[in-house]
Amino acid sequence: MEEVVGKLWDKWLTKQVSTDHVDARVELSTIQAQLIIFYRAMGGCPAKTIELTEPRKLQIKRTTLQKIAGSHQYFMVSWQDDKSIRLPPYIATFADSKSNENLYFWLVALAAHQPTMIHWLIDNQAATTKIISRYPGLKKIYLSLSQAYLAKRPELSDLPVQEQQAEKQIHYALTVPGSITSAVSSKFAVLPVPLWLYPARLRALPIGNKLSDERTGKGQRHLKEIKEIEQRKQVDYVDDERKTDGLLVFQAEALETWTEQVNLDRCQSDEDDSDNIDAIAKDLDVITLSRHRKAKSASIRFNLDLPAEENDDLRLGEGILLPEWNFKEQRLIENKCLLQTMLADDVKPIELNKKQQQISRDISKRLASLGLVQSKRKTQQSGDEIDLDAWLDDYSQPTKSTNKQNYFIDNKQHYRDVSCLLLADLSLSTEAYINEHQRVIDVISDSLLVFSQGLNQLNDKFAIYGFSSVRSQHVRYHIIKNFKMAFDGHVRGRIARIEPGYYTRIGAAIRQSSKLLSQQGSANKIMLIITDGRPNDLDQYEGRYGLEDTRQAIMEAKRQGLVPHCITIDKKAHDYLPFLFGQNGYSIVDNAELLPQVLPKIYINLTKH
Amino acid sequence: MKKPCYYQVQDDEVEIFNYCVEHNLPVLIKGPTGCGKTRFIEYMAQELDRPIITISCHDDLSSADLIGRHLISAEGTYWQDGPLTKAVREGGICYLDEIIEARKDTTVVLHSLSDHRRELHIERTGEVIKAHKDFILVVSYNPAYQNVMKGLKPSTRQRFVAMTFDYPNAEMEAEILMHEAAINAELAQSLVKLANDIRKLTDIDLKAAVSTRLLIYAAKMINSGCSISKACKHCIIEPLTDEAETIQALGRVINAYF
Repeated sequence: MEEVVGKLWDKWLTKQVSTDHVDARVELSTIQAQLIIFYRAMGGCPAKTIELTEPRKLQIKRTTLQKIAGSHQYFMVSWQDDKSIRLPPYIATFADSKSNENLYFWLVALAAHQPTMIHWLIDNQAATTKIISRYPGLKKIYLSLSQAYLAKRPELSDLPVQEQQAEKQIHYALTVPGSITSAVSSKFAVLPVPLWLYPARLRALPIGNKLSDERTGKGQRHLKEIKEIEQRKQVDYVDDERKTDGLLVFQAEALETWTEQVNLDRCQSDEDDSDNIDAIAKDLDVITLSRHRKAKSASIRFNLDLPAEENDDLRLGEGILLPEWNFKEQRLIENKCLLQTMLADDVKPIELNKKQQQISRDISKRLASLGLVQSKRKTQQSGDEIDLDAWLDDYSQPTKSTNKQNYFIDNKQHYRDVSCLLLADLSLSTEAYINEHQRVIDVISDSLLVFSQGLNQLNDKFAIYGFSSVRSQHVRYHIIKNFKMAFDGHVRGRIARIEPGYYTRIGAAIRQSSKLLSQQGSANKIMLIITDGRPNDLDQYEGRYGLEDTRQAIMEAKRQGLVPHCITIDKKAHDYLPFLFGQNGYSIVDNAELLPQVLPKIYINLTKH
Repeated sequence: MKKPCYYQVQDDEVEIFNYCVEHNLPVLIKGPTGCGKTRFIEYMAQELDRPIITISCHDDLSSADLIGRHLISAEGTYWQDGPLTKAVREGGICYLDEIIEARKDTTVVLHSLSDHRRELHIERTGEVIKAHKDFILVVSYNPAYQNVMKGLKPSTRQRFVAMTFDYPNAEMEAEILMHEAAINAELAQSLVKLANDIRKLTDIDLKAAVSTRLLIYAAKMINSGCSISKACKHCIIEPLTDEAETIQALGRVINAYF
């Protein structure tokens, strides 16, 4: 009974203090794809993505009711840094959903016109002024939003005198943007304005600090499990001068609360209680992470993770030095990456299994029809149509010998001048399960098997490479089949033996692949990149750094006359792949299980004349 | 009387073209779709008072389609000149539009015409035609249009004086809109701003950029009473993409202006 009453009381109280219009609520996920395009059109940086913001603690002057309800302490404020724009998961500020939707677009426009923020109050007004003077349509939207919102601000009479001044400023700033040039000081923070952006919390943090590492554990995991904590938590980075890397060297009982330190050392997150950690993380206000990049456990783990040389694939040569693009310096850093070419030299030859044979037969049929899409060859000795021009030519020139009688047009394609290099991502994330029996890597392996069979049948020249990485000095580049090797059981054996491991430093792998592919004599050179997610590695190679480097590597490839095309199973790839590969430069395979069937289709579309 | 052709000079293209005419040099024009390549050639033909023969290239264009072929009549076979041969004999601007669409073996017939020889070999009749003094060869293509199996042979493109065209700058583009569609300056400027915002998405969310041609379509429809947002949607956005998300997002960009 107590519990029921408690719940009812809580419900009633929450309703009393909540200003949200639940019926008109608009979810970010429903318009996220539109927002990012809109942001780019407004002139925003194309490498940025949209992410969820986290609740931020702001000390505002609360009413008694709000205090009793324990509300109005945390706010979903919008902000941005050099990687992404952070927006609330939903907006229910206004009574009509149209206005709530408009607010999302307004915030994105604001983000595009105010890439860096120095002074919250002044910069928001400045960006607003800029937008409303340029976009008459957005001006209308702003005026209606700000007017409707001002009515929802706290009454001046309800506030202490000191807070009234600050509140007045907000009113002026919203009504006449640009009118307030300096902020008055007050004891409490003002109620956050949902029409404005807020400063980034982690402004000073370098990109290399990782919040969502690829999991490094080896246990079975379902794709669903590999999820981000829905709302980003507030993260306080501490200088871990003792270099403990979260290892508790004192008795755990001495810990007073979970809030102080949680065993969320992602370098070691291969424990089975990952669900539990997510749950704990959701309950915590602040997660304390070490910002010490060269944490001991990380280095130990990865040194242990690299197999001993005798158990590893054969390393060919001393490694190849490759450059990498640093977007902050806007230049290529020479010799930044060391790429190690490797070959599994001890595989046994294998044949396709029954299921693969079935898919392979289907693909063969489809590829056979590819031969029919061709250019006509005239004046042939035999063919599908009569070449009237050739006949006329012969008969109108009596001097010319007509013995040859080449009076046919041949419709068969005799010559496909194509070289194709397949580059497969073998990073550890491909170990995720897509269904009960198959991991991503299994689907990639299946796809490579049946597709290479098809390419062999088409007589297109092709090569297959796989890659993964552990920082810049160890980019693993596995030869599965180079352009010169014959397609045989050994190649199939190597495809079947690909194993997931490590990270995705894709730029270096693309550069090396471009080098190999551009040496081919064919007129048409295609690089197919099969991946399951964003570029990432242990060092700064993630987020914008990784994306910008990949984009550079792709542009370099295009300049060499190659045609790069990315095939991904990452459903969120719409956010970043257009920036890397351009509108038609990528394909997203929604159902990863179908990759073996879809891959040849993509290739057919790419190469048919 | 034929309406004079309007062309807004963007840079030094007229000057360069005139030098080419003076020295009988062939011209290659590169540029995105709808930026005014064809209009420029029409304008130059008008300025030079020469006829213009346009050939739109496509996959199946054979050298016979350019040079000519034997046809059958009641009396037997006879030779019919193709458009290229006609231009070579009679003089004029022969304009091969989107040459990249034609097969590489077809464009090889241009080689002897586009160097110092300026002559056309007709293999089928054994005739060698010296080009008329007023003959000038102009080809164009869109470098952004990328297809794996297509491209211009380096030996072909190296025979031309080349010029790159792009969309005009904002001021000029607005002037073009005002002239072509008789709209006011304010509307023209807003349309151009909108186009430039959407052009930021080229090669990211859109394959091609908004062309000046599409802007003129929109402006004309607005001028005759169509609502601005409808005209922009159907003339500017829908021709560029089929993606529902992109269409909706670009609709928002239109709403930001109008």
